[in-house]
Amino acid sequence: MRDISTPQTIDVSLRDVVKHYGPFQALKGVSLEVAKGETIVICGPSGSGKSTLIRCINQLETHDSGDIVVRGITVDGTPANTRDVRIEVGMVFQQFNLFPHITVLQNCTLALRLLNKGTKRLNEEKAMYYLERVRIAEQAHKYPAQLSGGQQQRVAIARALCMEPPVMLFDEPTSALDPEMINEVLQVMEDLARGGMTMICVTHEMGFARRVADRCVFMADGEIHEIAPAEAFFDAPESPRLRGFLDRILPSTAHS
Amino acid sequence: MHFDLSLAIASLPALFHGLMMTICLSIFVLLLGIVFSVPMALARMSKRRSLAWPALVFVIFFRGTPVLVLLYILYFGIAQFAWVRESFFWPLFADPFGCAVIGLALNHVAYMTDVVRGSLLSVPRGIAEASLALGIPERKVFLWVRLPLALRYGIRAYQNEVVGFIKGTAIVSVVTINDLTAVANGIFQETYDPLTPMITAAVMYWIVVNLVRLGFAGLDRWLNRHHAPEPASRTRTRKAAVA
Repeated sequence: MRDISTPQTIDVSLRDVVKHYGPFQALKGVSLEVAKGETIVICGPSGSGKSTLIRCINQLETHDSGDIVVRGITVDGTPANTRDVRIEVGMVFQQFNLFPHITVLQNCTLALRLLNKGTKRLNEEKAMYYLERVRIAEQAHKYPAQLSGGQQQRVAIARALCMEPPVMLFDEPTSALDPEMINEVLQVMEDLARGGMTMICVTHEMGFARRVADRCVFMADGEIHEIAPAEAFFDAPESPRLRGFLDRILPSTAHS
Repeated sequence: MHFDLSLAIASLPALFHGLMMTICLSIFVLLLGIVFSVPMALARMSKRRSLAWPALVFVIFFRGTPVLVLLYILYFGIAQFAWVRESFFWPLFADPFGCAVIGLALNHVAYMTDVVRGSLLSVPRGIAEASLALGIPERKVFLWVRLPLALRYGIRAYQNEVVGFIKGTAIVSVVTINDLTAVANGIFQETYDPLTPMITAAVMYWIVVNLVRLGFAGLDRWLNRHHAPEPASRTRTRKAAVA
């Protein structure tokens, strides 16, 4: 979470980002600034462009126009900048996307190895440190298929952390999990947020948003309709679209 | 007519010689298949039409042409062109083994291109995306993530192709190569006993094919060890089986 006593530096800045899929406009000029250490939760109905937005940040999707700047790197689609920005930004996916053919430990060290960073021993120590942090170190020598969904997602978080990125993106990290496994993943994310990580999370976990987010963003139809601190977002939503959305997804007493 | 055991035993050295030719030819062509099918599959999947179209035409043409016809063209037909006879490649086309290797390889690579392509396409997109998101360059993602996973998805289709291919090499006798089938046929011509040499040859094919199958089963088990139950329970089952 953000330390409000120090002056802000902006880690991620989006300005008028536009993205089309053929004739369909997925992002209609989205602007957002994320301060260092800030936790942002993005929510909204499916098809509203939430995933597309965060996938543009590390160029898994290329945007058509607008400016994206991540920690001083202009994300303009050039190979060098794309490479640099991907080193700065870690990502966690809905479907975990672990490498099924190698062990948990190797999942964590593969990128370090392929980018010629560190020695084998140092990388394994680093991997064990982060596996410890997501509380799954004892499974280091198993294969992903031998773990539960929640465990796999925690490994995916550790794998991203091994690159020591200052910014993390989460694309619906708990949507593919059984209900009893959601909390173990959210707990790890909360620890990260409290440790000062800059985080942008697309999630439908409104409890997490209220508890952990500095600001919440509501998107619909490729636009941001509302940005507000978590409390105001849930207790005093301004836009009618957000009010309708919250009415549908929250128990009726939660935001009266 | 009965199976003549003494003839079978007497034929063994000659048949074994033919078997070596079959194996030699198979290894040659299978290696060419591995070397050429990956670049061909990549060309076929390329967004650049200048690469994708020639690869597609290659696959359509050589999958659609019977190997027998291909061998006749290569061995008898091409020699009709003077410029081929004067070219650097002539020793290859003048030699029946060279013709057989080229003919079988063209057909095999055409089939393998689609095996490799299908295997690469079945690697989940998300896993490649996760690799890219970690900052791994595209080329290394291909080499260390997509290709190893594709190998696991494709190994069974490849086994089918290899087994079918080995038996299909019997066709090379038409360009005067003394492979297992040709030798067996020669013994039949000499002894007027069609049964003994052919059954002996069939047994030899059967042994080779099943050795290949066992080899693939082992490779498959090793490659897919990540799907096995966890090590602790595996040792327990093994001990139980021993007891």
